Amino acid sequence: MSLIPRLQAILTRLLRRDAVEAELDDEVRGFYETIVERHIGQGFSEGEARRLARLQFTPPEQVKEQVRDARTGAALSSLARDVKYSLRTLRKAPAFAVVTILTLALGIAANSAIFSMVSRFVLRAPPVGDPSTLLALHTIHHGECCNNFSWPLFRDLQDQARSFSGIASYYELVPVSMGGKGEPERVWGQAATSNFFDLAQLGMTLGRGFSGDEENLPVVVLGYRLWQHRFGADPAITGKTITLSGRPFTVIGVAPPAFRGLDLILDCQFWVPLGNIDQLLPNTSKHDSRVYHWVTVVGRLRSGVTRTQAAAELDVLAQRFAKAYPESEKDGGFRFESAGSLPPRDRAAVMMFLAALTLVALLVLCIACANVANMYLAQASGRQREMAVRLALGATRGHLLRQMLTESLLLALGGGVLGVALSLWATQALAAFRFPAPVPLDLSLSVDWRVLLYTFGLSIAAGVLFGLAPAWAVARPIIANGLKGGDVLARPGRLWSLRNVLVVSQIAMSLVLLCATGLFLRSLQNASRIDIGFSSSGIFMMSIDPRLNGYSADRTIRFLNQLQQRVTALPGVTSASYTDSVPLSGGHRSDAFHAEGSGSDANVELYMAGPGYFDTIGTPCIAGREFANESPAGPKVAIVNEAFAERLFANQNPIGRRVSGRGVTYQIVGVVKNIKSRFLGEDVRPVLYRSLAQDIAGDPSFTGYSILVRFARDSGSLASAVRREIHSLDPTLAIFNAGTMQEHLRDALFLPRLAGTLFGIFGLLGLLLAAVGLYGVMNHWVSRRTREIGIRLALGAQIGGVQRLVIRQGMLLTLIAVVPGLVGAWAVTKLFTSVLYGVRPHDFATFAIVPLFLAAVAFLACWIPSRRAASAEPLAALRHE
Amino acid sequence: MSKPSELLQGTLDLLILRTLECGPLHGVGISDRIEQVTRGVFLVGPGSLFPALHRLAEKGWIEGEWSEHEGKRRVKTYTLTTSGRAQLTEEKRNWKKVLTAMNRVLAEEV
Repeated sequence: MSLIPRLQAILTRLLRRDAVEAELDDEVRGFYETIVERHIGQGFSEGEARRLARLQFTPPEQVKEQVRDARTGAALSSLARDVKYSLRTLRKAPAFAVVTILTLALGIAANSAIFSMVSRFVLRAPPVGDPSTLLALHTIHHGECCNNFSWPLFRDLQDQARSFSGIASYYELVPVSMGGKGEPERVWGQAATSNFFDLAQLGMTLGRGFSGDEENLPVVVLGYRLWQHRFGADPAITGKTITLSGRPFTVIGVAPPAFRGLDLILDCQFWVPLGNIDQLLPNTSKHDSRVYHWVTVVGRLRSGVTRTQAAAELDVLAQRFAKAYPESEKDGGFRFESAGSLPPRDRAAVMMFLAALTLVALLVLCIACANVANMYLAQASGRQREMAVRLALGATRGHLLRQMLTESLLLALGGGVLGVALSLWATQALAAFRFPAPVPLDLSLSVDWRVLLYTFGLSIAAGVLFGLAPAWAVARPIIANGLKGGDVLARPGRLWSLRNVLVVSQIAMSLVLLCATGLFLRSLQNASRIDIGFSSSGIFMMSIDPRLNGYSADRTIRFLNQLQQRVTALPGVTSASYTDSVPLSGGHRSDAFHAEGSGSDANVELYMAGPGYFDTIGTPCIAGREFANESPAGPKVAIVNEAFAERLFANQNPIGRRVSGRGVTYQIVGVVKNIKSRFLGEDVRPVLYRSLAQDIAGDPSFTGYSILVRFARDSGSLASAVRREIHSLDPTLAIFNAGTMQEHLRDALFLPRLAGTLFGIFGLLGLLLAAVGLYGVMNHWVSRRTREIGIRLALGAQIGGVQRLVIRQGMLLTLIAVVPGLVGAWAVTKLFTSVLYGVRPHDFATFAIVPLFLAAVAFLACWIPSRRAASAEPLAALRHE
Repeated sequence: MSKPSELLQGTLDLLILRTLECGPLHGVGISDRIEQVTRGVFLVGPGSLFPALHRLAEKGWIEGEWSEHEGKRRVKTYTLTTSGRAQLTEEKRNWKKVLTAMNRVLAEEV
C-alpha cells in the first residue's frame, strides 16, 4: 500500500514499457490458449475452439486495455500515449499543423501584447518592499478628488495619523542639468523627504537611501539607468561628488534597476532630499501656504492596521483639520490607493481603452479559433475512416474524444509558444509609440510572468474551444458509413452544419472588427488632416532650460536673443524664434482672463513667444503686429488668437484693448489665426501669447524654452549647426527635445496612430482569417459534391450555372453573417466615441463600405473554389471517390 | 463502500485472495477454482480477472512469478504475500460484519 512500491511500479512501467507490455501480452494470451486447448481436448477443431473462446470472453486486446487502465498512473501513461499518437498524426499532416499553429499564434500574440499593457498599467505593483501596505494619498478639495498636499497639511498628517508607520512626501519632477563628462544633459528626478527610502524599502543596488538627518544635505541617490549610462556603472560611485545644475551633490546610493519612482508612469532618474528643492527649483516650495498643493504623499500602513481602519482615521482627521483651518480645509478629505496605481483622474479612460482593446483582441482570437476549428473539422473528416476503425476495434468514444482534444491542445500550446515570441516583438513595437508630454514618461512594456500565465491559460482555452466541437462531432461518426469510406459527418437533413455555423460566426466577428478598423482609419485620416494652424514642415526645434544653470531672467533673454541672431545668420535658415512651449505638447499653462470694458471672462491658454515667432511657425497674423523687441520694463503687450477675440470681445476689433489675468494687465497688439494648443482633437481654445522678454521674470517656464528654426535646406546638418551655436554661447547648457516639427506632429498623433495601427492589424488579420475560413468551407463543399456536379454537367448543366451554384451558397453564408455582424459592430463601436477624431461611431460611410468590402472579399473566397467546380471533367467527377 | 460497483470490486478482491490462500495458482487456475467452489455462481472472465490481479499485485498483496515448464508455455503464477494474508484476514472480518448486518436487515424485513 505504501507509496514507494507504487512509484517503483510506475517507474518500472515507464522505463521498461516494452517488456511490461510483452509480459502482459504473454499472460493474457496464455489464458486464451489454455481455454482453446481445453476446447480442443473436448473434441472441437482448432478453428471452432478459437471461435468459442472469442464468443465466451472479452477479446484479449480489450482485456489488456482494461489492465492498463486499472494500474496506478494509468492516466499519466495514457496521456503520454495520446501525446505520442497526436504528434505522429500531426507529423503526417504538417501543412495543417503549421497553418493551425500560425493562425493561433497570431490570435494569441494579439492578446498577449494587449495584456502586457494591462499587466504593466493595471496589475503591476511598484518594485518596493511589501507593496500592499504602501499607499498613495490624495486630498479631496471642495469635493473634488485627487490633489496634491500642501506642506502644512502633510506635516499635520505626519504628526497625527496613527494608522501609518510612516508618511513621506516628495516633489514629483525636478529637472536638473547634468554636467561633468560628455555633453550636458537635462535629467529629471524627484526631491523627497528623508524618510522616503525607509518607507519604500528598496533593495538598493549600491549604497543606501537617505538617513533621517539628511533632509537638507546635498546628497543624491542615482537611478540605475543614469548610473549606467552617465557614470559607466562605476562600482565605487558612492561617496563621489557629482554636479546637478552646477551644484555639488554626494552620491550615497544607486536605486535598483526597476525603480523609477513610486507611480510607475513618470520616469525619474535621481532622488535628492526635499531640502534641496529651493536651490534646484527656486520658488517651488512654499512651506507656510495651506492653499499651495505641491507635494505628493505616500504612507506605509502600520502592521495590523487594515485599510478600512486607516480610511476611518483619515476621515476623522479631515474633520478635525476642517474645523481648525476652515479657510483652506473646509469640505476637505483624504483618499488613498495602492502606490503605483494609475493616476485616479485618468484611470477610467485608461481602463476603458484597455478593455476595448482586450475585447477586440479576444475577437481576433475567436475568429482564429473558429477558423482552426473549421480546418480541424475538415482534416478530421478526412480521418473518419481511422476513427470508425478504432471504434470498431473497441476504442470508446471517450478515448477518441480525449485523443482529439490532446491534439488540439498540443496545437494550441504550439500556437501559444509562437504567440509569446511574436508578442515579444509586438510589445517592442508598441513601446516605440511616443506619447507627447513635456515630462519624462516610462511607458515601456514587457512580457512578464503575468503575461506568460495569461497566454498559457488562453492557449488552453483556445485549444479546448476549437477542439471540443470537432472532437465531439468526429468521435460520433456513423460507423457503417465510415468503414465504407463514406462521409461519417454528413448527417442527412442537416441544414446547419457545424462548419457553416462556424464560418458564419467568423464572418460576423470579422465584420465587427472591420467596422472598428474602418472607423479608426477614418479617424487617423481625419486627425492627420486637422488644420493645426501652423506649418508642419520645414521647422526644426531644440530646447534648453537655462534656469537649471542658474541663469537670471535677464541673462536668459539676452541668451535667447543672441542665439536667435546667430541661428538666423546660419546658411539655409529663413527665420528663427523662441517660445516657452511648442504647441501640441499635451498641455502647458492656462488661467482665467478678463476683458476690460466688455465684462467677459474665459479660461485662456498661455504661451510666451519671442520676436518673429508667428512668421517662423507659419501662422498668419490677421490684425495688428507680431512681437518685436519688447522692453522688459515697458507696458505689457499680448497677441491673441481669433477664438480669444471672439470669446472675449464678441468679434469686435481687440487691438488696443486691455485684458487681465494672473494679476497682470496686457494690451493687445495683434490677432493671429487659431492653432491647436494641447491636442489635435481639441476644440479651438482661446490663446494668449505674451512677450517672453516681458513675462519670463514673473512667470518662468518649468519645462525650459524651445528655439524654432524655419529652414530652406535639409535639417540634418542644421541640427548640428544650431547645437554648435548653443554650445559656443554656453557649453554647459543641456539640449533636449531636438527634432523636426514633423516628428513632433507624429508624436502628437499618438492616440489615432496607435489605435489606427492596432485596429488596422487586427482588422486585416480578422478579414484574412475569415476569408480563408470561407474559402476552406466552400472548397470542402465543392469536393464533397464533385459527383453531383459531375452528374449535373453530364446532364447538360451549363458551367456558369454550376459556378453560380457554388457562389450562391458562399454568398448566402456571408449574407446571413452580415446581419449579426452589423448589430455587433453597432454596439461595440459605441465604446470608441471618446477616442475618435472627427468621426461619429456610427459613421454612415464606414457602415456602408465595410460590408461591401467584406462581401467582395467573400466573393473572391467563393470564386476560386467555384472555378474548380466548373472546371471539373464530368467523367472524372463521376469516377471520383 | 456506498456504490455497488465498489462492493463488487471488493468482493472480487476477497475471492481472489481467498483462492490464493490455499496455494499459488495462475490465471486460468484462479478462474476455474472460483467457478468450482461457488458452483458456477461466480464466473470470473479475463476482463475482470486480469485488471484485479494487476491491481492486487500493485498493492503488494499478491506476487506474480513466471514459471517455465519444459515444452509448455510459460505461465505467471500468483502467490499470496504476508501483507496479502493480513489484508485477507481484515477483509474476511469486514465481510462477516457486512453479512451479519445484511442478515439482520433481511430478518427485520420479514
